[in-house]
Parts: sequence; C-alpha cells; structure tokens
Amino acid sequence: MSKNFYHYPVWVRLWHFSNAVLCLFLIVTGFSMLYSDPDNALVVKFQRAVAIHNVCGVLLTISYTAFLFGNLFTPNGKNYLIRLKGLGDRLWKQGYYYAYGYFKGEEAPFPVTSDRKFNPLQQVSYVGVMYFAIPMLFVTGWALMFPEFILKKFLGLSGIFLTDQFHVILGFLVVIFLFIHIYVSTMGKSPLSNFRSIITGWQESH
Amino acid sequence: MMTLKRYLLCFSLIIVTSSFPVFAQLEEADSLPAPRGAELSLFADENELNCLRCHGQMVYTLTDSLAGMTRKQLMSEHNLVVPEMFYNSVHWSFSCLDCHSEGFKTFPHSIEARFETSWGCIDCHGNDPNYAQYRFEEIDAEYQKSVHYTATEGLITCWNCHDPHYYNPLARQTKGGREYILRSNEMCLRCHSNAEVMGLINDENVEIVLPKHEWLPDVDRHLEAVRCIDCHTRMNDSVLVAHEVMPADSAVRGCADCHSQNSILMGTLYKYAAMESRDEKGFVNGVILRNDSYVIGANRSKFISFTGLLIIGMTLAIALMHTFFRIIIKPKQHINE
Repeated sequence: MSKNFYHYPVWVRLWHFSNAVLCLFLIVTGFSMLYSDPDNALVVKFQRAVAIHNVCGVLLTISYTAFLFGNLFTPNGKNYLIRLKGLGDRLWKQGYYYAYGYFKGEEAPFPVTSDRKFNPLQQVSYVGVMYFAIPMLFVTGWALMFPEFILKKFLGLSGIFLTDQFHVILGFLVVIFLFIHIYVSTMGKSPLSNFRSIITGWQESH
Repeated sequence: MMTLKRYLLCFSLIIVTSSFPVFAQLEEADSLPAPRGAELSLFADENELNCLRCHGQMVYTLTDSLAGMTRKQLMSEHNLVVPEMFYNSVHWSFSCLDCHSEGFKTFPHSIEARFETSWGCIDCHGNDPNYAQYRFEEIDAEYQKSVHYTATEGLITCWNCHDPHYYNPLARQTKGGREYILRSNEMCLRCHSNAEVMGLINDENVEIVLPKHEWLPDVDRHLEAVRCIDCHTRMNDSVLVAHEVMPADSAVRGCADCHSQNSILMGTLYKYAAMESRDEKGFVNGVILRNDSYVIGANRSKFISFTGLLIIGMTLAIALMHTFFRIIIKPKQHINE
C-alpha cells in the first residue's frame, strides 16, 4: 500500500524547473566551448555558446540565491541537513540496496516518508552538488568574468588557467551527478512516477 | 541549525554583493586628470620666450645682434617640440625648465647645459603613491633587463619610445582594440622598420622587420591583432605593459605559446581583453554577451577533457548495466501494478 506525500511545494518545483533548464543549457554550451575548434562547432557556435553560457550562469546565480533563501526560511532546508552519526552505515545500506537488494526485491532501507524526502545517498550527493559544486562553479565562473581578482600565478601555473580547469572539473561533476540523478529517478514506484512527482508535487512511497 | 542558517545566509549575501566593488574600481581608472592645453598652463609664456620660439618651430630665426644679421634655419627634428602636442600631453602643465637645465636659457646653449642628465620616468614617478598603480619601479627594473638597455649600454632610454613632450597613454588616446594595437606597434616600427635608424645601433641588424615575420600563418591578421610586445617581451601580468624586451631569437614562435593551455601570456591577454571589453561595452554587452576574450582551446587541458568524458562514459555504462539487470530480473515490488 503506497502513501502519497506532498514533498515538492510550488516554489521548489519552479526552482527545480529553472535549475534543470539552465543547467542543461550550461552543459550543452559548456561542452560546445570545451570541445569546439574554429572550423567545427560541436553543438553551438563558439561565440554564441559563450554568450548563452554567460547569460545562463548569471540566471542560475539568481535562481540559486532563491533556492538558498527558500531552504533558509522554509522547512525544505532540513532535507539537506546530514546527520553524521552512522552516516557511513546508512550510505552503505543504500548503496547495497541499489546494487543488490533492489534486484532481490528487498524493502528500500530508507523509504520516502512525510519526514524523509531523500535517502542518505541522495542527501550526500545533493548537499555536495548544491552546497559545494554549484557555489564553486559560481565563484570560478564569475571570477573568469572579473579576471583581475584571480591570482596571477599559483604553483607556477597561470591563475586563470587553474580557475578555468577547476570550473571545467566541477562542470563534469555536475554532468555526472545529472546522469545519476535522472537514472535514479527512474527507480521510483514506476519508472516515471518520480518525474510525475516533480511536476505535481506529490511523491509516492514504495 | 541556527549556525548553519547564518552561514548560508552570509554565503548568499557574499555572492550577491561580491560584484559591487568591481564597479567602483572601474570608475576609478578614468579619474586621472585629462590634459588641458596651452591656455591653462601657468608657464606657457615663459616656455614660449625661453624655448618654443625656436624649438617649437620647424623654421627658426637666428640673430647675430652684433653684426645685425638674421638667418632662417631648419630645426632638427630631434630638437623640435610641437607646442600643440606638448600642451596635449600629460606633462602639459610643466615649465620646460622644470626638467631642462637653467643653462638652456642662454643662447648659444652652453656645453654644460648640453651635458645635462636626462631624467627618466622613474626619477619623477618612482615610489610615488599617486602613481603606484602604474608600477613604474617594476617597469624600470624590466627595462634595465631588456635588450634595449643591455645591448645599447643604456643608449635607448624611456624617451626613444615615450617622448615626454608628447606622452599620453595610448589607452587614453585610442578606443582600444585594433587601433590600440596599431598605435602600439607604430612605436616599435618607428625604429625597427627604418634601416637607417637600426644601422646607427648595429650594422648587422639593418634588415627591416616585416619580412622576418612571414613565417607566421595569416601574417597580416597576426600583425593587426597582436602587439609586437606580446611576443617580444617577457610577460608579467602585474604591469599593464610589459617592458622587458627580449633579443629577437627569444621571441615567442610557437603557436601553442599563445593559443594553448597554461600560458601566462594567454592569461595576460585574457585579463586585458576581458577588462577592455567591459570598460568599452559595459558588463552586460562586454562581458556576458560579446566577450571576445576567450580563445578557442586556450585553456584546454587534454587530460581533463578526456578524463571527464571517460568518467561520464563509465557512469552511463553502469546505468545501462543496471537497466539491463532491471529488465532481466524484474524486481517484483517495483513492477507498476
């Protein structure tokens, strides 16, 4: 018997939608910039990719600020507070479930409840992305727009080069997160149920 | 809980407000006094009487009062100071005798006056907090290491490139971009495209400069878009314009030196182009929409680009395997009833 929980209020859904769209644009244009050469644009022409990437980066900063304020002033923020005690154990249980228990038909170790929206693996990866990777992408991205604030040299390498590489590595992390995020979303009650949830706001427990 | 909230609030405020000081800094760059003109100079009459009535004219009149004779003579171009250009320079407000010896007040000029020591930029601008942002001390140290100084035993001074009578920063005279590059390169070509001038310094070096650059692919485009000093000086991105001119055989010749990863030169140009673009077109147009400071592949690391794709590929492979097992095993509780 499954239960429904209203886990995604309107502001979370709106933020999630804008975040998803902007991240997709950023990833496509980011790849276009990283892998294009003067004669062949990967997806978008280089200069156009730069412009779109910059615009989306600025918009994402705004949308992220809204997310931060939302988490500060609504109960949604508590989903991102990780209890460190026994975390290793809980992560192992969840990992074991995805890799093995799931196929054996075992019960999910941390099912969705009214109090719990994310399982431990989701919690850790969401915190890592939203409170580390994305803010660092902002810092490095904005720094590349204001290069006078970047260190001239660090460990004998150009500060601009290092900032750029850090931005690219973080970008890759977000892409990898996105793939896992989408894939894991297909492991709900039915492959599409989690996608329905983020549109309607109601999440089914399984 | 409260501590975390406070931390997150601070962090978001830092993100929002961190861009404010940048705009203040941009305005500061334009706050230097602009040249005024002869009508405002306190020394215009004195300069005219003592110096410019001869040195300010192509043809001056030489008078022998004892014999009662006058003769018109051409002023050597090296001793000519065009008044309009002087009063439009950054040194417009000075008297000639602030820098030149009092001995020049008499004519014919005494031999002592002719042996006066010419002041360099550093003599007035060194260690002056008003000019700290231009880093004259660092520029002087670079110049002393440059081939201009070492190969000529100091014969080539600041003045050969930057005539103090006419000096006005190029960035202030031009709108930047191609015009700036053209004017910057003209400064070098005044001597380096003139076999006669180069011959005065070194007999072996009389070959004019342009044919030496024909190895460059798309040579015209390079010479229009790159300053001579971008390849011929040792780059230092803390001074606005690098002054350590290297011997010709040390110049940048590898394409990758400019157009590839980990290049300090690239960093300098990126910084320059980004700031110029922002100053000229503003933040929205110059930085966000039409930011030409990126060069394709400039900061690319093949290792990171490859490893990133590899890890993404592995993630997809794991997801595919997982999907495969989901299809084969059909975990009971997850089948949509």
